[in-house]
Amino acid sequence: MKLLTRYNRVTLATTVVVMLITGIVYYFFIHFILIRDVDKDLEVEENEVFEYARENNRLPQVFESNDQQISFYEAPAGSVQRRFLDTLYKLTPNPNHRHRHHGEHYESGRGLITSVSAGNQYYKVLIVKSTVETEDLVKVIFLITIGVILLLLLILFLINRLLLNRLWQPFHALLKELRMFNVADNKDIAQIDTSIEEFRELNQVVTSMSSRVKSDYKDLKTFTENASHELLTPIAVINSKLDTLLQTDNFSQQQSKLLSDLYGAVSRLTRLNQSLLLLVKIENHLLGSEQDINLKVAIEELVMQFDEIFQDKGLKVTCDLQDKMLLTNPYLVDVLLNNLLSNAIRHNHADGEIRIKLDGVKLSIQNTGENTALRSENLFRRFHKSASSEGNGLGLTISQQICENLGYDLRYDFITGLHIFTVIF
Amino acid sequence: MYPKLSLYIYAKYGMKILIIEDEKGLRESIEEYFTEAGNICETASDYTEAMAKVNVYRYDCILLDITLPGGNGIQILKDIKQNNYPDGVLIISARNSLDDRLEGLDLGADDYLVKPFHLSELRARVMAIIRRKSFSGNNILQFNELAIDLLAKSVKVKTQAVKLTRKEYALLLYFIANKGKVVSKNAIAEHLWGDGIDMANNFDFIYSHIKNLRKKLVEAGSHDYIQAAYGMGYKFTDQ
Repeated sequence: MKLLTRYNRVTLATTVVVMLITGIVYYFFIHFILIRDVDKDLEVEENEVFEYARENNRLPQVFESNDQQISFYEAPAGSVQRRFLDTLYKLTPNPNHRHRHHGEHYESGRGLITSVSAGNQYYKVLIVKSTVETEDLVKVIFLITIGVILLLLLILFLINRLLLNRLWQPFHALLKELRMFNVADNKDIAQIDTSIEEFRELNQVVTSMSSRVKSDYKDLKTFTENASHELLTPIAVINSKLDTLLQTDNFSQQQSKLLSDLYGAVSRLTRLNQSLLLLVKIENHLLGSEQDINLKVAIEELVMQFDEIFQDKGLKVTCDLQDKMLLTNPYLVDVLLNNLLSNAIRHNHADGEIRIKLDGVKLSIQNTGENTALRSENLFRRFHKSASSEGNGLGLTISQQICENLGYDLRYDFITGLHIFTVIF
Repeated sequence: MYPKLSLYIYAKYGMKILIIEDEKGLRESIEEYFTEAGNICETASDYTEAMAKVNVYRYDCILLDITLPGGNGIQILKDIKQNNYPDGVLIISARNSLDDRLEGLDLGADDYLVKPFHLSELRARVMAIIRRKSFSGNNILQFNELAIDLLAKSVKVKTQAVKLTRKEYALLLYFIANKGKVVSKNAIAEHLWGDGIDMANNFDFIYSHIKNLRKKLVEAGSHDYIQAAYGMGYKFTDQ
């Protein structure tokens, strides 16, 4: 759920509830006040009746006026208890009256039952006043209140939408920056123009974090590069000493076995070291300029170069190549082709098959090998390799880095027993 | 102008080489590998020493390390070229970046070899440089009854032409450059197939190449110069 939605939901619900409660309380309060007013009017009327009865010792004449009716009933002495009540007000046809209905009609009214003695007779007195006006007033007030609530809700909703969207703009901008963040490139997180303190703070934290991450990454890379460089010299010394040792006299069977193992290990070490240096260089974009190359020619040369190795392993190689010109870094393309083809040879079985296809949009190198697909999530990870692999586990990482660097796409598929690596230009 | 060394002189008197390399172990190995009857090897371990030697003596080939105590090898190269010294220059560097390589070659270096390398590879490169420098019209490399035409890339035993594949030809040149030395299988494989060779830990397929080359040469009437050495490599020798 979006923050805005959540916020809207909460605020709107709260507003509605509060407004409703306010409305109800307001309604009853207004109602109470107005009824009290009516009751006061009734008491004034009652006093008038009392006064008239005391002065004249008889009941006043009853007439209708001001939406008020007074009626007297004879009653046994002391039987009437004084009280107010909600009652009905009986309308008599009256041309001046608001309600022009035929026959008898009632509207809501408020009554006071009281008693009076006049001429030795005890009377029950009922004074009724119409409360239609009052009720109307309450209704209008209530409607206005509801209207205000609705209007307020609408405005709140719109404000939330427009204003909050605007307010969150810096956040979204920052999010976009973070999404595009890449430790390897030189671009910093842009400063976001905002007057909101929280976002400014977030921006600062993110910026400082990103530069810290970048500098750590750079340190690490520099370390790898330096370490690999420093390793080169001792490896070169070992290599040259081995070559020199080889010139000294006769070796026993055992010694020569040891020597060739050493040669093998040193050459693996050399290759590993070169691969690490190459990776650093690719990531640093430190590899020379672009040239026009015909990929078809490059592949043909490479296939010819590997010819003896194909023969040695009994591999059948089929090429289906079309001319494809690329303006690109020839060195990287060379390494890429070399890696992919080496893999196709290394992970093949004896008398297997390699198919190389090149057309205008893609190059695919397919090879037989183990009859299960490789786990693609680990495929391009550094130093990930199959148990039987003689490589250093960097070949595919380098291939992928090269593709990324040159703007190509490298994909792996396993279809009908063929491992397929496809470079899409 | 300095007189160009002819192939004759090189064959008769050997070659004169300056090794500019600060790493003692490597310097000594190279020196030992190149030192044999008739060859003169001199060494320099830092910038000043190298500059002093370069400006006084002439060499057939200078092996030049780029990173030196006291200065940059590129500066030495510039100095050699500014003075029009005819010495061949082979840069040996730990820096395998294309830019360094191009800079070195643009400045007039004859070749560029990246550390680590096999001594046999270094020697093959040095021989190639010296051959290029000293041919002056003569492009035949003679080894006893073998005659190799370096321009036509053809081989003759006495008068009998031998038809070699590209790799067999390269292999023969490599052997002749390293004659009398045991050359490891690794070095041969890397020389012929480049870095792409790492898929084959056993280099059995080299054996069939050597066998073919040997057969062709012997059938054309050559001595059998190629000897297997303890299962680790091969030696091309007339002794």
